[in-house]
Amino acid sequence: MRKHHILLAILILSLIAPPALAHAIGGTDAQFVRNTMGADPFPFLYLGAKHMMTGYDHLLFLVGVIFFLYRLKDVLLYVTLFSLGHSTTLLLGVIFNFGLNAHLVDMVIGLSVAYKAFENLGGFKTIHFEIDNRIAVGGFGLVHGMGLATKLQELGLNPNGLIPNLISFNIGVEIGQLMALSIILVLMTLWRTTKSFGRSAVFANALLFLAGIVLAGEQLAGYIFTGGK
Amino acid sequence: MPDETQVETAQPIAPVQLKVKPKTLALITGGGLVAGTLIVVGAIMPAEYNVDPLGLGKLSGVARLWAPEEKTIDVNAGAGGPLAREFDAPLRTDTIAIPLSGFLGGAKNSELEYKVRMKPGAAFIYDWSVAGAERENDFHFDFHGHTTPVKGEEMTVATYKQAYGLKAQGALTAPFDGIQGWQFSNSGDKPVVVTLKLTGFYDLIPSGEEGNLAGIVANVPVEQSRPGFTPQ
Repeated sequence: MRKHHILLAILILSLIAPPALAHAIGGTDAQFVRNTMGADPFPFLYLGAKHMMTGYDHLLFLVGVIFFLYRLKDVLLYVTLFSLGHSTTLLLGVIFNFGLNAHLVDMVIGLSVAYKAFENLGGFKTIHFEIDNRIAVGGFGLVHGMGLATKLQELGLNPNGLIPNLISFNIGVEIGQLMALSIILVLMTLWRTTKSFGRSAVFANALLFLAGIVLAGEQLAGYIFTGGK
Repeated sequence: MPDETQVETAQPIAPVQLKVKPKTLALITGGGLVAGTLIVVGAIMPAEYNVDPLGLGKLSGVARLWAPEEKTIDVNAGAGGPLAREFDAPLRTDTIAIPLSGFLGGAKNSELEYKVRMKPGAAFIYDWSVAGAERENDFHFDFHGHTTPVKGEEMTVATYKQAYGLKAQGALTAPFDGIQGWQFSNSGDKPVVVTLKLTGFYDLIPSGEEGNLAGIVANVPVEQSRPGFTPQ
């Protein structure tokens, strides 16, 4: 009975956690990336995983995606779609040096959280506007990857060893995502077995929606007040 | 959640989506948008960007969290040495009145050089202006410095500014051990008086030595500052 409280606590914490934490590569990690010359797979693997585990906007999106995925087959399908999406933009974005403003990308990621919550609430059915879930998840995967690519480019990756490091980072992201996913999945499964799941699911998705709006608003404010740099 | 919420929980395989009444959905999304906007505008914007349109950040004190981002520069990397320096010489302030004749009085009377002695890295701030000149291009100055001339050695010269004008103010950090100052030239036909104010870490040059060959005396009225000179 107490499991859903834990999940709610995680959601609420995400609201009050420092916004700057949301999947930025900072501090000494940033310095490391900047100074790396040549292939250095394991540190980049670790950074990718860390990035995913601490990027709570990604995690909230995953919570939204697997909220009503009961069969492992479905979970795997959606996670694969998401991974394909963000791997594509992460790799291509960095290799071809293509990036969008990080605040704007993060704003769309925030909106993707709100989108997913709205969909979980049956909102799109109610307003008779339905997008194939697979396309939406794949599409948001592309955006999430673009966010990663933009952050990596901001750090000024050394062209020496770029591809191996990038692939290591990407594999790290997948590992981090799988680890996060496992934890979320276990918590969700436990939560679903509780009697109150139906009711608290509405509440949880309402919170998820709010969290998405706050994330998006915070990034929009960041875009406006930092002059879009 | 209130009773108006309908949730399908009966099926063995649970629904892929919830099904809430449109009214509840509107409440959730509308409430989420309003609350989310309030959090962003009322708390995040004041705390992170110092923008507080509702005044809530100030009211709650959240706005005090904001501090400008700091970027530290290397204060020792400048070509002229560290930006903050200490000097052994005491701080001094001098006012120097320099009378000059019109150009008809000849170069000896209508132009002169006034400099002070400085250690490398020492600094002064200055302010000078010309009284009696009618037009800006009647008066020329050459702000420069050089090392003390020694026979058989090259003299290091630094030219800061050569221009026409009736006043200037600024600061100088001496690039080397030597003398720093101005060559003032009056090309108008009326006599003028230059008032030069200096504050900083330097030594005045005694009358008749290189840098003060005209024998200017500092900190006295203009009638006494240039012995043996009569304005023409």
